[in-house]
Amino acid sequence: MAALPTMRPLGCLRTLFRAQDAFQPQMSRRFISTAYSKRPERVPLPPNLPQQFLSQLPVRMQPQNASKPVKVYPAPPSTSKACKDPVAKITESQLAVLDPKGERKALFDYRRNTRSVKPGDIVRVTFKNGDPFNGVVLSIKLRGIDTSFLVRNELTRVGVEMSIKVFSPNVQSVEIVQRAERKPRRARLYYMRSRKHDRRSVENLVASYVRQKRAFLGGKRQQ
Amino acid sequence: MSPRLPGKLLQLSSSLWDTQLTVPRVSMRNFGIKSLNTPKPSRFNIGPGLPVLESTSTAALRRKANSLPLRTGVIATKKGMTAIFDPETGKRTPCTVLQMDRVEVVSHKTRQKHGYYAVQIGSGWKHPSNVTKSLLGHFSANGLSPKRHVFEFRVKDESGLLPVGQNVSASWFQEGQFVDARSNTKGKGFAGVMKRHGFHGQDRSHGVSLTHRSMGSAGPSQGGGSRVYPGKKMAGNMGNNQNTVQNLKIMKVDAEAGIVVVSGAVSGPKGCNVRIQDAIKKPWPEVAPAESAATA
Repeated sequence: MAALPTMRPLGCLRTLFRAQDAFQPQMSRRFISTAYSKRPERVPLPPNLPQQFLSQLPVRMQPQNASKPVKVYPAPPSTSKACKDPVAKITESQLAVLDPKGERKALFDYRRNTRSVKPGDIVRVTFKNGDPFNGVVLSIKLRGIDTSFLVRNELTRVGVEMSIKVFSPNVQSVEIVQRAERKPRRARLYYMRSRKHDRRSVENLVASYVRQKRAFLGGKRQQ
Repeated sequence: MSPRLPGKLLQLSSSLWDTQLTVPRVSMRNFGIKSLNTPKPSRFNIGPGLPVLESTSTAALRRKANSLPLRTGVIATKKGMTAIFDPETGKRTPCTVLQMDRVEVVSHKTRQKHGYYAVQIGSGWKHPSNVTKSLLGHFSANGLSPKRHVFEFRVKDESGLLPVGQNVSASWFQEGQFVDARSNTKGKGFAGVMKRHGFHGQDRSHGVSLTHRSMGSAGPSQGGGSRVYPGKKMAGNMGNNQNTVQNLKIMKVDAEAGIVVVSGAVSGPKGCNVRIQDAIKKPWPEVAPAESAATA
Protein backbone atom coordinates (compact mmCIF):
# COMPACT_ATOMS: atom_id res chain seq x y z
CA MET A 1 0.00 0.00 0.00
CA ALA A 2 1.47 3.20 -1.18
CA ALA A 3 0.12 6.56 -0.19
CA LEU A 4 0.05 9.39 -2.59
CA PRO A 5 2.76 11.98 -2.05
CA THR A 6 0.09 14.73 -1.76
CA MET A 7 -1.54 12.87 1.18
CA ARG A 8 1.66 12.67 3.18
CA PRO A 9 1.38 16.00 5.09
CA LEU A 10 -2.10 15.05 6.17
CA GLY A 11 -0.90 11.63 7.21
CA CYS A 12 0.69 13.09 10.35
CA LEU A 13 -2.79 13.91 11.65
CA ARG A 14 -3.66 10.25 11.62
CA THR A 15 -1.78 9.63 14.87
CA LEU A 16 -3.77 12.40 16.48
CA PHE A 17 -7.06 10.77 15.53
CA ARG A 18 -5.77 7.46 16.75
CA ALA A 19 -4.90 8.94 20.14
CA GLN A 20 -8.37 10.37 20.49
CA ASP A 21 -9.87 6.99 19.63
CA ALA A 22 -7.72 5.37 22.28
CA PHE A 23 -8.59 7.79 25.11
CA GLN A 24 -12.20 8.60 24.52
CA PRO A 25 -13.76 5.30 25.56
CA GLN A 26 -11.79 5.33 28.82
CA MET A 27 -12.80 8.90 29.67
CA SER A 28 -16.42 8.29 28.97
CA ARG A 29 -16.37 5.14 31.05
CA ARG A 30 -15.09 7.13 34.02
CA PHE A 31 -17.74 9.77 33.71
CA ILE A 32 -20.45 7.18 33.75
CA SER A 33 -19.24 5.63 36.97
CA THR A 34 -19.20 8.96 38.86
CA ALA A 35 -22.38 10.31 37.40
CA TYR A 36 -24.51 12.18 39.89
CA SER A 37 -27.75 10.57 40.73
CA LYS A 38 -30.24 12.22 42.96
CA ARG A 39 -30.82 10.68 46.35
CA PRO A 40 -34.25 9.11 46.47
CA GLU A 41 -36.72 11.07 48.51
CA ARG A 42 -37.60 9.56 51.81
CA VAL A 43 -41.11 8.20 51.64
CA PRO A 44 -43.07 9.82 54.42
CA LEU A 45 -45.21 7.73 56.69
CA PRO A 46 -48.80 7.80 55.63
CA PRO A 47 -50.73 10.17 57.83
CA ASN A 48 -53.35 8.77 60.15
CA LEU A 49 -51.72 5.36 60.23
CA PRO A 50 -54.06 2.99 62.04
CA GLN A 51 -53.01 2.03 65.56
CA GLN A 52 -52.66 -1.67 64.78
CA PHE A 53 -49.95 -1.03 62.17
CA LEU A 54 -47.70 1.03 64.43
CA SER A 55 -46.11 -2.03 66.00
CA GLN A 56 -44.80 -3.05 62.57
CA LEU A 57 -42.67 0.09 62.35
CA PRO A 58 -39.09 0.11 63.62
CA VAL A 59 -38.96 1.12 67.27
CA ARG A 60 -37.27 4.44 66.60
CA MET A 61 -39.98 5.43 64.12
CA GLN A 62 -42.88 4.74 66.42
CA PRO A 63 -44.54 8.00 67.42
CA GLN A 64 -44.09 7.51 71.17
CA ASN A 65 -40.31 7.25 70.62
CA ALA A 66 -39.99 10.39 68.55
CA SER A 67 -37.28 12.72 69.86
CA LYS A 68 -38.70 15.48 71.99
CA PRO A 69 -37.07 18.89 71.74
CA VAL A 70 -34.95 19.69 74.83
CA LYS A 71 -35.98 22.86 76.58
CA VAL A 72 -32.95 25.10 76.97
CA TYR A 73 -33.08 27.52 79.87
CA PRO A 74 -31.53 30.98 79.56
CA ALA A 75 -28.30 31.70 81.43
CA PRO A 76 -28.39 33.87 84.55
CA PRO A 77 -26.51 37.20 84.50
CA SER A 78 -22.77 36.72 84.40
CA THR A 79 -20.46 38.06 87.08
CA SER A 80 -17.37 37.72 84.90
CA LYS A 81 -18.98 39.94 82.29
CA ALA A 82 -19.89 42.47 84.98
CA CYS A 83 -16.27 42.60 86.10
CA LYS A 84 -13.80 41.93 83.30
CA ASP A 85 -10.63 42.62 85.26
CA PRO A 86 -10.96 41.48 88.88
CA VAL A 87 -7.25 42.03 89.63
CA ALA A 88 -7.58 45.70 88.67
CA LYS A 89 -10.68 46.00 90.82
CA ILE A 90 -8.87 44.61 93.85
CA THR A 91 -5.94 46.96 93.17
CA GLU A 92 -8.26 49.96 92.98
CA SER A 93 -10.00 49.08 96.21
CA GLN A 94 -6.55 48.82 97.84
CA LEU A 95 -5.38 52.14 96.44
CA ALA A 96 -8.53 53.86 97.70
CA VAL A 97 -7.44 52.97 101.22
CA LEU A 98 -3.67 53.23 100.98
CA ASP A 99 -3.39 56.23 98.67
CA PRO A 100 -6.75 58.04 98.68
CA LYS A 101 -5.45 61.27 97.06
CA GLY A 102 -3.27 59.53 94.50
CA GLU A 103 -0.16 61.38 95.69
CA ARG A 104 2.08 58.36 95.90
CA LYS A 105 0.96 57.12 92.52
CA ALA A 106 1.76 60.50 90.97
CA LEU A 107 5.12 60.68 92.74
CA PHE A 108 6.35 57.54 91.01
CA ASP A 109 4.42 57.64 87.74
CA TYR A 110 7.54 58.72 85.82
CA ARG A 111 6.04 57.93 82.42
CA ARG A 112 3.26 60.54 82.76
CA ASN A 113 4.23 62.90 85.54
CA THR A 114 7.26 65.12 84.84
CA ARG A 115 7.60 66.08 88.49
CA SER A 116 7.82 62.52 89.69
CA VAL A 117 10.82 60.70 91.09
CA LYS A 118 13.03 59.44 88.27
CA PRO A 119 15.91 57.01 88.14
CA GLY A 120 19.11 58.80 89.12
CA ASP A 121 17.45 61.04 91.72
CA ILE A 122 18.67 61.02 95.31
CA VAL A 123 15.80 60.39 97.71
CA ARG A 124 15.23 60.19 101.42
CA VAL A 125 12.66 57.62 102.52
CA THR A 126 11.29 57.68 106.05
CA PHE A 127 9.48 54.76 107.59
CA LYS A 128 6.88 54.59 110.32
CA ASN A 129 9.12 52.35 112.34
CA GLY A 130 12.86 52.52 111.94
CA ASP A 131 15.56 54.71 110.48
CA PRO A 132 15.22 56.65 107.25
CA PHE A 133 16.98 55.27 104.20
CA ASN A 134 18.72 57.54 101.70
CA GLY A 135 20.15 56.76 98.33
CA VAL A 136 20.12 56.94 94.56
CA VAL A 137 17.08 55.57 92.77
CA LEU A 138 18.27 52.84 90.41
CA SER A 139 14.94 51.77 88.98
CA ILE A 140 11.19 52.18 89.33
CA LYS A 141 8.95 49.18 88.79
CA LEU A 142 5.38 50.20 87.95
CA ARG A 143 3.26 47.16 88.90
CA GLY A 144 -0.02 48.49 90.29
CA ILE A 145 -0.21 47.89 94.00
CA ASP A 146 3.26 46.30 93.95
CA THR A 147 4.92 49.38 92.48
CA SER A 148 8.39 49.63 93.99
CA PHE A 149 11.67 51.48 93.58
CA LEU A 150 15.21 50.41 94.18
CA VAL A 151 17.44 52.71 96.25
CA ARG A 152 21.22 52.33 96.49
CA ASN A 153 23.52 53.82 99.10
CA GLU A 154 26.72 53.00 100.91
CA LEU A 155 26.68 52.24 104.62
CA THR A 156 29.97 51.59 106.44
CA ARG A 157 31.70 51.46 103.06
CA VAL A 158 29.48 48.62 101.92
CA GLY A 159 27.10 49.09 99.03
CA VAL A 160 23.49 48.61 100.18
CA GLU A 161 20.34 48.41 98.12
CA MET A 162 16.77 48.47 99.29
CA SER A 163 13.66 47.74 97.30
CA ILE A 164 10.77 49.77 98.72
CA LYS A 165 7.09 49.24 97.98
CA VAL A 166 5.57 52.62 97.19
CA PHE A 167 2.12 51.89 98.63
CA SER A 168 3.31 50.11 101.74
CA PRO A 169 1.76 51.67 104.87
CA ASN A 170 5.19 51.38 106.50
CA VAL A 171 6.57 54.07 104.18
CA GLN A 172 5.88 57.44 105.71
CA SER A 173 7.36 59.81 103.18
CA VAL A 174 9.64 59.99 100.17
CA GLU A 175 11.53 63.26 99.62
CA ILE A 176 13.55 64.15 96.56
CA VAL A 177 16.89 65.46 97.88
CA GLN A 178 18.56 66.06 94.55
CA ARG A 179 17.48 65.56 90.98
CA ALA A 180 19.70 63.76 88.53
CA GLU A 181 22.12 66.25 86.95
CA ARG A 182 21.15 65.19 83.48
CA LYS A 183 18.61 62.74 82.28
CA PRO A 184 20.05 59.24 82.33
CA ARG A 185 19.83 57.38 79.05
CA ARG A 186 18.51 54.26 80.72
CA ALA A 187 15.44 53.43 82.77
CA ARG A 188 17.34 51.00 84.97
CA LEU A 189 20.68 52.30 86.24
CA TYR A 190 22.14 48.97 87.20
CA TYR A 191 25.50 50.08 85.82
CA MET A 192 25.81 52.15 88.99
CA ARG A 193 26.71 48.96 90.80
CA SER A 194 29.99 48.80 88.92
CA ARG A 195 32.93 50.45 90.66
CA LYS A 196 33.44 52.96 87.90
CA HIS A 197 29.93 54.43 88.07
CA ASP A 198 29.13 53.92 91.74
CA ARG A 199 27.85 57.09 93.46
CA ARG A 200 29.21 55.80 96.81
CA SER A 201 27.69 57.31 99.92
CA VAL A 202 25.07 60.06 99.62
CA GLU A 203 24.85 60.60 103.38
CA ASN A 204 26.64 63.99 103.26
CA LEU A 205 24.32 65.33 100.61
CA VAL A 206 21.25 64.21 102.51
CA ALA A 207 22.59 65.57 105.81
CA SER A 208 23.06 69.03 104.30
CA TYR A 209 19.57 68.81 102.80
CA VAL A 210 18.10 67.98 106.21
CA ARG A 211 20.04 70.87 107.78
CA GLN A 212 18.75 73.32 105.17
CA LYS A 213 15.24 72.07 105.58
CA ARG A 214 15.39 72.46 109.32
CA ALA A 215 16.66 76.02 108.97
CA PHE A 216 13.91 76.79 106.47
CA LEU A 217 11.21 75.44 108.72
CA GLY A 218 12.44 77.59 111.60
CA GLY A 219 14.24 75.10 113.75
CA LYS A 220 11.28 72.79 113.92
CA ARG A 221 12.49 69.25 114.23
CA GLN A 222 11.44 67.23 111.28
CA GLN A 223 11.54 63.54 110.94
CA MET B 1 21.23 -41.42 107.40
CA SER B 2 22.07 -40.27 110.92
CA PRO B 3 25.52 -40.99 112.25
CA ARG B 4 25.61 -44.02 114.43
CA LEU B 5 26.75 -43.64 117.99
CA PRO B 6 27.98 -46.38 120.25
CA GLY B 7 25.55 -47.37 123.05
CA LYS B 8 27.60 -45.82 125.81
CA LEU B 9 27.82 -42.45 124.21
CA LEU B 10 24.09 -42.37 123.55
CA GLN B 11 23.41 -42.88 127.21
CA LEU B 12 25.83 -40.11 128.16
CA SER B 13 24.23 -37.59 125.83
CA SER B 14 20.74 -38.31 127.15
CA SER B 15 21.91 -37.78 130.72
CA LEU B 16 23.42 -34.41 129.71
CA TRP B 17 20.07 -33.32 128.25
CA ASP B 18 18.30 -34.18 131.48
CA THR B 19 20.66 -32.06 133.57
CA GLN B 20 20.07 -29.04 131.29
CA LEU B 21 16.35 -29.25 131.74
CA THR B 22 16.60 -29.16 135.52
CA VAL B 23 18.54 -25.84 135.57
CA PRO B 24 16.05 -22.95 136.24
CA ARG B 25 15.80 -20.49 133.33
CA VAL B 26 16.35 -16.69 133.70
CA SER B 27 13.59 -14.86 131.87
CA MET B 28 14.95 -11.27 132.12
CA ARG B 29 18.59 -10.45 131.86
CA ASN B 30 19.57 -8.30 134.82
CA PHE B 31 23.25 -7.82 134.11
CA GLY B 32 25.39 -6.09 131.48
CA ILE B 33 24.31 -3.13 129.33
CA LYS B 34 20.62 -2.31 129.51
CA SER B 35 18.49 0.21 127.66
CA LEU B 36 17.35 3.20 129.68
CA ASN B 37 14.15 3.54 127.68
CA THR B 38 11.16 1.43 128.40
CA PRO B 39 10.26 -0.92 125.56
CA LYS B 40 7.99 0.77 123.02
CA PRO B 41 4.57 -0.60 122.29
CA SER B 42 4.08 -2.03 118.84
CA ARG B 43 3.49 0.48 116.07
CA PHE B 44 0.99 -1.88 114.55
CA ASN B 45 -2.61 -2.26 115.48
CA ILE B 46 -2.20 -5.74 116.90
CA GLY B 47 -3.63 -7.16 120.07
CA PRO B 48 -6.66 -8.62 121.71
CA GLY B 49 -9.79 -6.55 122.20
CA LEU B 50 -9.42 -4.42 119.05
CA PRO B 51 -12.56 -3.79 117.00
CA VAL B 52 -12.84 -5.86 113.88
CA LEU B 53 -12.22 -3.79 110.74
CA GLU B 54 -15.18 -3.68 108.46
CA SER B 55 -15.01 -3.58 104.71
CA THR B 56 -18.53 -2.33 104.14
CA SER B 57 -19.30 0.93 102.39
CA THR B 58 -20.92 2.21 105.59
CA ALA B 59 -17.68 1.64 107.46
CA ALA B 60 -15.74 3.37 104.69
CA LEU B 61 -18.01 6.41 104.95
CA ARG B 62 -17.67 6.40 108.73
CA ARG B 63 -13.90 6.40 108.46
CA LYS B 64 -14.03 9.28 106.00
CA ALA B 65 -16.55 11.31 108.01
CA ASN B 66 -13.96 13.44 109.78
CA SER B 67 -12.16 14.45 106.61
CA LEU B 68 -15.21 15.32 104.50
CA PRO B 69 -16.33 18.96 104.48
CA LEU B 70 -19.81 19.80 105.68
CA ARG B 71 -20.44 22.29 102.89
CA THR B 72 -19.98 22.12 99.16
CA GLY B 73 -17.17 23.88 97.35
CA VAL B 74 -17.30 26.07 94.25
CA ILE B 75 -15.66 26.34 90.84
CA ALA B 76 -13.67 29.50 90.23
CA THR B 77 -11.28 30.80 87.57
CA LYS B 78 -7.77 31.94 88.38
CA LYS B 79 -7.44 35.56 87.27
CA GLY B 80 -3.96 36.45 88.45
CA MET B 81 -1.92 37.40 91.46
CA THR B 82 -1.61 40.62 93.41
CA ALA B 83 -0.89 41.67 96.99
CA ILE B 84 -2.93 43.00 99.87
CA PHE B 85 -1.48 45.41 102.42
CA ASP B 86 -2.82 45.48 105.94
CA PRO B 87 -3.22 49.22 106.69
CA GLU B 88 -2.66 48.71 110.43
CA THR B 89 0.35 46.43 110.53
CA GLY B 90 1.70 47.27 107.10
CA LYS B 91 2.07 43.59 106.32
CA ARG B 92 2.00 42.64 102.68
CA THR B 93 0.33 39.35 101.75
CA PRO B 94 0.70 37.98 98.25
CA CYS B 95 -2.62 36.60 97.08
CA THR B 96 -4.44 35.07 94.14
CA VAL B 97 -7.59 36.55 92.65
CA LEU B 98 -10.28 34.00 91.74
CA GLN B 99 -13.58 34.72 90.06
CA MET B 100 -16.78 32.71 90.22
CA ASP B 101 -19.14 32.90 87.28
CA ARG B 102 -22.74 31.65 87.45
CA VAL B 103 -21.97 28.85 89.86
CA GLU B 104 -25.09 26.73 90.35
CA VAL B 105 -26.01 23.40 91.84
CA VAL B 106 -26.64 20.96 88.99
CA SER B 107 -27.55 17.76 90.86
CA HIS B 108 -26.85 15.59 93.88
CA LYS B 109 -25.12 12.30 94.54
CA THR B 110 -26.76 10.47 97.40
CA ARG B 111 -25.83 7.58 99.62
CA GLN B 112 -28.97 5.66 98.63
CA LYS B 113 -28.45 5.95 94.89
CA HIS B 114 -24.72 6.48 94.33
CA GLY B 115 -23.10 5.34 97.57
CA TYR B 116 -21.85 8.74 98.76
CA TYR B 117 -23.01 12.30 99.25
CA ALA B 118 -21.79 14.92 96.82
CA VAL B 119 -23.01 18.11 95.20
CA GLN B 120 -22.57 18.48 91.47
CA ILE B 121 -21.73 22.10 90.70
CA GLY B 122 -21.62 23.78 87.32
CA SER B 123 -20.18 27.12 86.30
CA GLY B 124 -20.05 29.40 83.28
CA TRP B 125 -22.21 28.98 80.21
CA LYS B 126 -21.83 26.93 77.07
CA HIS B 127 -23.71 27.36 73.84
CA PRO B 128 -26.42 24.68 73.63
CA SER B 129 -25.27 23.67 70.16
CA ASN B 130 -21.89 22.67 71.62
CA VAL B 131 -23.39 20.49 74.34
CA THR B 132 -24.19 16.83 73.75
CA LYS B 133 -27.86 16.03 73.90
CA SER B 134 -27.52 13.79 76.92
CA LEU B 135 -25.78 16.50 78.92
CA LEU B 136 -28.22 19.11 77.67
CA GLY B 137 -31.06 16.94 78.93
CA HIS B 138 -29.30 16.64 82.30
CA PHE B 139 -29.14 20.41 82.65
CA SER B 140 -32.66 20.99 81.34
CA ALA B 141 -34.18 18.38 83.62
CA ASN B 142 -32.84 20.37 86.55
CA GLY B 143 -33.96 23.69 85.07
CA LEU B 144 -30.49 25.04 84.35
CA SER B 145 -28.76 26.63 81.41
CA PRO B 146 -25.93 24.53 79.88
CA LYS B 147 -22.79 24.80 82.02
CA ARG B 148 -19.23 24.98 80.75
CA HIS B 149 -17.61 23.29 83.74
CA VAL B 150 -19.14 20.63 85.94
CA PHE B 151 -17.47 19.20 89.05
CA GLU B 152 -18.50 17.21 92.10
CA PHE B 153 -17.81 18.23 95.67
CA ARG B 154 -18.14 15.56 98.33
CA VAL B 155 -19.94 16.47 101.53
CA LYS B 156 -20.33 14.58 104.77
CA ASP B 157 -24.07 14.01 104.81
CA GLU B 158 -27.36 15.10 103.29
CA SER B 159 -27.41 18.32 105.31
CA GLY B 160 -24.66 19.58 103.00
CA LEU B 161 -26.73 19.07 99.86
CA LEU B 162 -27.84 22.47 98.58
CA PRO B 163 -31.10 22.55 96.63
CA VAL B 164 -30.69 21.87 92.92
CA GLY B 165 -30.66 25.02 90.81
CA GLN B 166 -29.45 27.23 93.63
CA ASN B 167 -26.96 29.91 92.71
CA VAL B 168 -23.82 29.95 94.87
CA SER B 169 -22.25 33.39 95.10
CA ALA B 170 -18.86 34.45 96.41
CA SER B 171 -20.41 35.24 99.78
CA TRP B 172 -20.47 31.49 100.31
CA PHE B 173 -17.03 32.06 101.83
CA GLN B 174 -16.31 34.34 104.76
CA GLU B 175 -13.28 36.57 105.03
CA GLY B 176 -10.74 34.98 107.32
CA GLN B 177 -11.78 31.38 106.81
CA PHE B 178 -9.46 28.79 105.25
CA VAL B 179 -9.97 26.85 102.04
CA ASP B 180 -8.24 24.18 99.99
CA ALA B 181 -7.68 25.08 96.33
CA ARG B 182 -7.54 22.25 93.81
CA SER B 183 -6.39 22.83 90.25
CA ASN B 184 -4.22 21.46 87.48
CA THR B 185 -0.59 22.54 87.44
CA LYS B 186 1.02 24.21 84.46
CA GLY B 187 1.91 21.68 81.77
CA LYS B 188 5.62 21.38 81.06
CA GLY B 189 5.43 18.94 78.15
CA PHE B 190 7.85 16.05 77.79
CA ALA B 191 10.51 16.83 80.38
CA GLY B 192 13.84 15.16 81.11
CA VAL B 193 14.72 13.54 84.43
CA MET B 194 16.67 16.55 85.71
CA LYS B 195 13.67 18.84 85.39
CA ARG B 196 10.99 16.26 86.20
CA HIS B 197 12.54 14.45 89.16
CA GLY B 198 15.51 16.62 90.13
CA PHE B 199 18.15 14.09 89.12
CA HIS B 200 21.69 15.43 89.14
CA GLY B 201 22.50 14.52 85.58
CA GLN B 202 25.99 13.54 84.61
CA ASP B 203 29.40 15.19 84.47
CA ARG B 204 30.23 18.03 82.12
CA SER B 205 33.48 16.29 81.23
CA HIS B 206 35.50 13.27 82.46
CA GLY B 207 34.77 11.43 79.24
CA VAL B 208 31.01 11.98 79.25
CA SER B 209 29.76 12.69 75.78
CA LEU B 210 26.25 13.66 74.68
CA THR B 211 24.59 12.43 77.90
CA HIS B 212 25.02 15.33 80.30
CA ARG B 213 21.36 15.63 81.28
CA SER B 214 20.19 12.04 80.99
CA MET B 215 19.65 9.53 83.76
CA GLY B 216 22.32 6.92 84.45
CA SER B 217 21.48 3.27 84.79
CA ALA B 218 17.79 2.40 84.88
CA GLY B 219 18.01 -0.80 86.88
CA PRO B 220 20.21 -2.97 89.10
CA SER B 221 22.37 -5.81 87.83
CA GLN B 222 21.88 -9.52 88.17
CA GLY B 223 21.57 -9.49 91.96
CA GLY B 224 18.67 -7.08 91.75
CA GLY B 225 16.73 -9.17 89.31
CA SER B 226 18.17 -7.80 86.06
CA ARG B 227 15.11 -5.75 85.40
CA VAL B 228 13.75 -2.23 85.75
CA TYR B 229 11.40 -1.98 88.70
CA PRO B 230 7.90 -0.60 88.18
CA GLY B 231 7.58 3.08 88.99
CA LYS B 232 11.14 3.89 87.94
CA LYS B 233 11.50 7.65 87.57
CA MET B 234 12.17 8.45 83.95
CA ALA B 235 11.68 11.26 81.47
CA GLY B 236 8.10 11.91 80.46
CA ASN B 237 5.18 14.26 80.49
CA MET B 238 5.40 16.74 83.33
CA GLY B 239 2.79 19.02 84.84
CA ASN B 240 -0.88 19.42 84.02
CA ASN B 241 -1.84 17.12 86.86
CA GLN B 242 -4.08 17.96 89.77
CA ASN B 243 -2.60 19.65 92.78
CA THR B 244 -4.24 20.73 96.02
CA VAL B 245 -2.93 23.72 97.94
CA GLN B 246 -4.22 23.50 101.50
CA ASN B 247 -5.13 26.12 104.08
CA LEU B 248 -5.36 29.28 102.00
CA LYS B 249 -6.93 32.16 103.85
CA ILE B 250 -9.81 34.06 102.29
CA MET B 251 -8.60 37.65 102.20
CA LYS B 252 -11.46 39.36 100.42
CA VAL B 253 -14.87 38.52 99.01
CA ASP B 254 -16.90 40.52 96.51
CA ALA B 255 -20.27 38.94 95.77
CA GLU B 256 -21.34 41.35 92.99
CA ALA B 257 -18.23 40.72 90.92
CA GLY B 258 -17.88 37.09 92.08
CA ILE B 259 -14.36 37.74 93.34
CA VAL B 260 -12.70 35.57 95.96
CA VAL B 261 -9.17 36.58 96.98
CA VAL B 262 -7.11 33.86 98.68
CA SER B 263 -3.71 34.24 100.26
CA GLY B 264 -0.73 32.68 98.55
CA ALA B 265 -0.39 30.93 95.24
CA VAL B 266 -2.68 28.49 93.47
CA SER B 267 -1.43 25.95 90.92
CA GLY B 268 -2.01 26.47 87.23
CA PRO B 269 -1.94 29.23 84.64
CA LYS B 270 -4.22 32.26 84.56
CA GLY B 271 -7.67 31.30 83.40
CA CYS B 272 -7.56 27.76 84.77
CA ASN B 273 -10.30 26.16 86.80
CA VAL B 274 -9.82 26.19 90.55
CA ARG B 275 -12.07 24.24 92.90
CA ILE B 276 -12.18 25.75 96.35
CA GLN B 277 -13.76 24.10 99.38
CA ASP B 278 -13.54 24.52 103.15
CA ALA B 279 -10.11 23.45 104.41
CA ILE B 280 -10.19 19.97 105.92
CA LYS B 281 -7.30 20.69 108.28
CA LYS B 282 -8.94 23.70 109.94
CA PRO B 283 -12.12 23.96 112.01
CA TRP B 284 -15.20 24.21 109.81
CA PRO B 285 -16.38 27.80 109.33
CA GLU B 286 -19.25 28.79 111.58
CA VAL B 287 -22.23 29.35 109.35
CA ALA B 288 -25.78 29.52 110.58
CA PRO B 289 -27.81 26.77 108.89
CA ALA B 290 -30.49 29.26 107.82
CA GLU B 291 -27.85 31.56 106.36
CA SER B 292 -26.10 28.82 104.43
CA ALA B 293 -29.34 28.07 102.62
CA ALA B 294 -30.33 31.70 102.18
CA THR B 295 -27.04 33.13 100.91
CA ALA B 296 -26.70 33.23 97.30
